[in-house]
Amino acid sequence: MPSGKISVSGFRHFFPTEGGPVQATGVIDLAIREGEFVTLVGPSGCGKTTLLKAIAGFITPSEGTILCDGKRVTAPGRERGVVFQELAILPWRTVRRNIAHGLEIARVPRVERERTVERLIGLMGLNGFEDRYPHELSGGMRQRVAVARTWAADPEIILMDEPFSAVDAMTRLTLQEELGRLCATTRKTVFFITHSVEEAVFLADRVLVMTKRPGTIKAVLDVPRHDHGGRDWDSFTADPEMRNIEEQVMHLVHAERVAG
Amino acid sequence: MKLARDLRILLPFMVLIAIWWGIKDGAGVSDRLLAAPPAVWNAFVWLVTHGVLAEYASTSLQMIGFAALLSFAIGVPLGFAVGTNRYAARALEGTLRYLQGISGIAWLPLAILWFGFTHTTTLVIVIYTLIVPIVFNTMTGVRAIPENYVLALRSLGASRLRIVIDVYLPGSLPSIVVGLRLGMGYGWRALIAAEMLVRQGGLGDLIFGARTFNQIDRIMVGMIVIGVLYIIVDRLLVQPIESMTLARWGVLRR
Repeated sequence: MPSGKISVSGFRHFFPTEGGPVQATGVIDLAIREGEFVTLVGPSGCGKTTLLKAIAGFITPSEGTILCDGKRVTAPGRERGVVFQELAILPWRTVRRNIAHGLEIARVPRVERERTVERLIGLMGLNGFEDRYPHELSGGMRQRVAVARTWAADPEIILMDEPFSAVDAMTRLTLQEELGRLCATTRKTVFFITHSVEEAVFLADRVLVMTKRPGTIKAVLDVPRHDHGGRDWDSFTADPEMRNIEEQVMHLVHAERVAG
Repeated sequence: MKLARDLRILLPFMVLIAIWWGIKDGAGVSDRLLAAPPAVWNAFVWLVTHGVLAEYASTSLQMIGFAALLSFAIGVPLGFAVGTNRYAARALEGTLRYLQGISGIAWLPLAILWFGFTHTTTLVIVIYTLIVPIVFNTMTGVRAIPENYVLALRSLGASRLRIVIDVYLPGSLPSIVVGLRLGMGYGWRALIAAEMLVRQGGLGDLIFGARTFNQIDRIMVGMIVIGVLYIIVDRLLVQPIESMTLARWGVLRR
């Protein structure tokens, strides 16, 4: 049995439909170590989100087990934070109150709560927007709030489902750098889903490549880190080693696309 | 500025009164078919000074108020229960639509057989009319809430009660208010109709009673008051809640 912060063994999932069960994923085994940033890249519909939802505890796997710190995952839990692609922060709460939500639920005392929220507002560059409602913010801003809310609750594991895909390209670059820095300073275990190869390599300690539906993991690539902070796009693009890994991943993903 | 706006609202009513007066006098319609505005005004003054109007109107207002409170108290939790359960929602959606087709008035014969010519009969009819749009709109409001709101809160460790309070309630509030507003409109009409048959007070009773004595002026006073009271209840009570919730949160659904 694989060991790690998260370990998935023999996972396979089917969705019930009127025409009988539809296979969402193939058999998946994977282990994520503590403090590791793992990205998962694969064609759309391959079952990436299904796997993430199972780790989050939103769905019960049809087959196999998911362990988190050696304990079987049966429901969502505070130790596993989730950042969604969109529509996750509440429109009727201000930025500040959205970020504080997890802390309110955990009954963190007011003073400590405010301190944490202030710190994250600073880290995510949300100063001056504390008392705005989500509909007054841009898409990029809203995702910052979503990320800040998850970080504020201080989970050990963070699951991210294409969090920046609905954001414009320019903002995305900034958000990716900010996320890298945030992770480097907070040492979270992160499982990050994307369909962007570049993003997958840029953020990861390890990249997993999935096949098309029903998806299984076809390759695992290590992305070495030479510094201890987050990466930045300028040095990333200038680094031939990184470009090389990106190309390898691109080939693997491309093969799935052609085959599809 | 405010005066100009008030005038714009009142102007169509003035035109309406002018047409009414014109038809009455110009075509020489008999007093037994249509009363002239001055006659209606005189009847209004008489009904007010003798406390008759206050008595009948307060009966109607109490009935609609009580029915609205009760329908709200029952309808909202019911809508929640159904809305949060996909299977129940699917099963009940058709039933609710069907029931909307059978108006409250259509239940009157049965209700009179069961409860007699009493306030209970009237209340049953009005609550039935009011509660269906409230349940229906609460249910659709709950179902329109993006699943991610709920999932995100569950992964933040929120309890079921917490999710109801933080997500379902504020998320469905605009829709609930729409349901209440519709329900009040339907309920008010059903109330007047029920009062005409039950004859235990209320504005419906007033105008139907006036018919037996051919008091055209009274009938018309009653009708005008029915309309005015509805506008007052809607504008002063329901509409402010609606604009308050919507304006503050912006567009809730995309």
